[in-house]
Amino acid sequence: MVGPGQGGGQPLQNANPLIYRRSGERPVTAREEDDELPDIIDDREIFDLIRSINDPEHPLTLEELNVVEQVRVKVNDAESTVSVEFTPTIPHCSMATLIGLSIKVKLIRSLPERFKLDVHITPGTHVSEHAVNKQLADKERVAAALENSHLLEVVNQCLSARS
Amino acid sequence: MKEALELLERVSAHPEARCWFLAWSPGGGLLASCGGDRTVRVWGRDGPQWSCRAVLSDGHQRTVRRVAWSPCGNYLASASFDATTCIWKKQEDGFECITTLEGHENEVKSVAWAPSGTLLATCSRDKSVWVWEVDEEEEYECVSVLNSHTQDVKHVVWHPNQELLASASYDDTVKLYREEEDDWVCCATLEGHQSTVWSVAFDRSGERLASCSDDRTVRVWQSYRPGNQHGVACSSTDPTWKCICNLSGYHTRTIYDVAWCHLTGALATACGDDAIRVFEESTGPEPSFSLAAHVPRAHAQDVNCVAWSPTEPGLLASCGDDGDIAFWRYQRPEGC
Amino acid sequence: MKSASVRLERGGCREASAPLKDPCNTALFVFQECIKPVKVEKKLGQAAAKIRIEADGSYFQINQDGGAQKLEKAKITLNDCLACSGCITSAESVLITQQSHEELNKMLAFNKTATPSEQKLVVVSVSPQSRASLAARCKMGVLETAKKLTAFLKSLGVHYVFDTTFSRNFSLLESQREFVKRFRKQAEDRKALPMLASACPGWICYAEKTHGSFIIPYISTTKSPQQVMGSLIKDYFAEQQHLTPDQIYHVTVMPCYDKKLEASRPDFFNQEYQTRDVDCVITTGEVLKLLEQEGVSLSDVDPAPLDTIFSTAEEELTSHSGGGSGGYLEHIYKYAAKELFGIQVDTVQYKPLKNKDFQEVTLEKDGAVLLQFALAYGFRNIQNLVQKLKRGKSPYHYVEVMACPSGCLNGGGQIKLDGNSSKDQLQQVERLYESVQTVVPEDNRTVRELYEQWLGGVESEKAVKALHTEYHTVEKASTGFNIKW
Repeated sequence: MVGPGQGGGQPLQNANPLIYRRSGERPVTAREEDDELPDIIDDREIFDLIRSINDPEHPLTLEELNVVEQVRVKVNDAESTVSVEFTPTIPHCSMATLIGLSIKVKLIRSLPERFKLDVHITPGTHVSEHAVNKQLADKERVAAALENSHLLEVVNQCLSARS
Repeated sequence: MKEALELLERVSAHPEARCWFLAWSPGGGLLASCGGDRTVRVWGRDGPQWSCRAVLSDGHQRTVRRVAWSPCGNYLASASFDATTCIWKKQEDGFECITTLEGHENEVKSVAWAPSGTLLATCSRDKSVWVWEVDEEEEYECVSVLNSHTQDVKHVVWHPNQELLASASYDDTVKLYREEEDDWVCCATLEGHQSTVWSVAFDRSGERLASCSDDRTVRVWQSYRPGNQHGVACSSTDPTWKCICNLSGYHTRTIYDVAWCHLTGALATACGDDAIRVFEESTGPEPSFSLAAHVPRAHAQDVNCVAWSPTEPGLLASCGDDGDIAFWRYQRPEGC
Repeated sequence: MKSASVRLERGGCREASAPLKDPCNTALFVFQECIKPVKVEKKLGQAAAKIRIEADGSYFQINQDGGAQKLEKAKITLNDCLACSGCITSAESVLITQQSHEELNKMLAFNKTATPSEQKLVVVSVSPQSRASLAARCKMGVLETAKKLTAFLKSLGVHYVFDTTFSRNFSLLESQREFVKRFRKQAEDRKALPMLASACPGWICYAEKTHGSFIIPYISTTKSPQQVMGSLIKDYFAEQQHLTPDQIYHVTVMPCYDKKLEASRPDFFNQEYQTRDVDCVITTGEVLKLLEQEGVSLSDVDPAPLDTIFSTAEEELTSHSGGGSGGYLEHIYKYAAKELFGIQVDTVQYKPLKNKDFQEVTLEKDGAVLLQFALAYGFRNIQNLVQKLKRGKSPYHYVEVMACPSGCLNGGGQIKLDGNSSKDQLQQVERLYESVQTVVPEDNRTVRELYEQWLGGVESEKAVKALHTEYHTVEKASTGFNIKW
């Protein structure tokens, strides 16, 4: 069974995506240097968590493909909410659900349990936006998906650090 | 309003995992819980303290999503993401798995026993609802496979005293089923919710149904029989269900469960905003419900289930993503 | 939009309890989830192609020189789908490359303009269930329907019209013999019994996909009447006509969609001549479409004589006893009772169990049960049968398994009439089906002759090859990218 990105000779869905420059290191503030005060989680910190998630198809990160941008991350530490909007590279991208799931899993694994996570597609950028968003928002579906070892393996590959 | 619902005890039931569901035994003496650690646990009370009486850990390969007691209290059914449903029989020293029901294509999301004790319903992400029959020799057979929903079916619940089945689905509807000749048919579809319906609950009479949804509302539906005085049109054989009340604006996230107390009529909800709310029906010409109790941080994370004790009025159990079970005493506030 | 679904994993047809709306219009649509890649003509030396997607969803390949080439939409064939299970698993709909009656149209049109050497001989084999359904719809008797259908099809350019009742004789005879053989070696082979019927492709697809190597040994290896007809037409008949198998275009008219899947099985593909035993399957509903397309009302057509190359008598239709799904249980039962126990059975007594689609037949003598057979139609009964089998609690020697509740007469491709309740409609079709006189397969002289002339004897190697088949466990594709969750 063949899918995009697998096996030689098959054309990729988005064979020549635009590649974006990585943003630089984050400057450390005085508050953060002070160990006494609890670190408030901000947009940049969430972005740092998700920017180097690998795209399932290309040897590039979500940041390099502009699938995730810091400006599309909204965190409210006080209310314990995180919202991440992601933009699939093309409107018919069939990897959208997988990418969204990878982002969700990365956040679940990295953030304190108090956080309510909302991962959805940037409005107007995908043909099945509503369906994908609904699936990502359904914690029962996500929980069951992560008990599927094949799927978990693929997600973990996306989340693994590139050497 | 906080005092109306008072915390009695908190138990760490499923360590390092979600607790998905709770079920009181028919006699009210035991509480079964199930969770992401793949176990079913049975809790009993010694005086005021709840303690774990049994851990059923070898039944399932994945999360156990739902548990249900048979009306006689001798059997426990557990529905799992591993696509099977286990039937456990209560023995002197614990529970024994006597059979495993297979057939669903993927995760089983719910299981429920009919009041007669001879029928069982299961539902799954494969969009189907199955009705099973059990005979005196404890043999289970599939009686019907219902494919009415167009998406994942989240929950199934039986009418309190009839063989009428309700199902809640990711397709935003509630459906009702009954037996017709030698098969089961869908006899009603309740539309109105704007997103996944997570749970449903009948009131004591079975004339009303409450449904809760990802759209953050609770809807109350009323059954109208053919020839009713309200002038509601019906088919010759089946009652019509109409939404008589829509509780919106109270919940700030998905509502995962709704429970209707058969002793007092109070309606409790389990919400993804970590809160438990209790509503009471207000007197008046139009049916309406008002918020009688609200505990904002009932659990440290999402509340997945609320369950009223079938024998002790005002005793409510809840569980959540934090893996805890909490016990509450509810007292209807004055003027409510 | 909700369309009647081909529930492949559940046995093909919609359960009869849910009312069907215009199943004739069952179009199957490709979902985005279909992972079949767009085919690109790979020319040597060309660098990796750039793909541009237009607003209307069409794909253009941008060449190195900047020129754009529109890419053809990937054609998804039934075989792709069968092999993939990428999106089809809880089947909503999948688009087949062509609506099959259109495929027949294309072939007939091609024949009109082709040179004699390119032309194909078009043979249509009609199932008795489809004929009964058409008769009910056109309000005629079955013989009249058969003659008028023959005339109509020939007016379109079809050369021969046959009845699969003829090939069913072989299926019944082979099944009988196979059963007795299996019964006799029960002691050595744990999986010899129960023998499970093999004529229903909905059941076969489900069995292969869901229960695989556990259930396959129990399934009878006898081919269905459709596929026996395929062998007969492409082998024997072709030779008689001095044609090679690929020079014949064989169409069958069937009561369900799963027969299309059966025809596309690799086991029924002739490698040598690169041709299928059955080239095209059209449903009863699609025949109606053909009539509507030509603006013809079947009752107005002048009848034509029936083609009698494969039949017992001129101008007469024959049938087999035992119900609208072929009568496998009855024939095997009567034959086994005689062969194994010397008991002559004239009428078979059915005992309905839990529901009307699950019935038992028992042969007893002096208080002992000699044979216990069952009919199991519909998904719920199939479920229970398989679960019992898995637990070693099945008491049966033979089960006639059919995917559709009420059997083939109620198939998903049959014509649904407006007005009457589906129950009345079904009864009407049943009455028409049963209005044909039944005969015993052993009495068919042409069949006996064919065993000799065509196959070289009843147990010959050629007979086994032509009349039996194999089953294969379908592995669920589990690449991470397209797992449905």
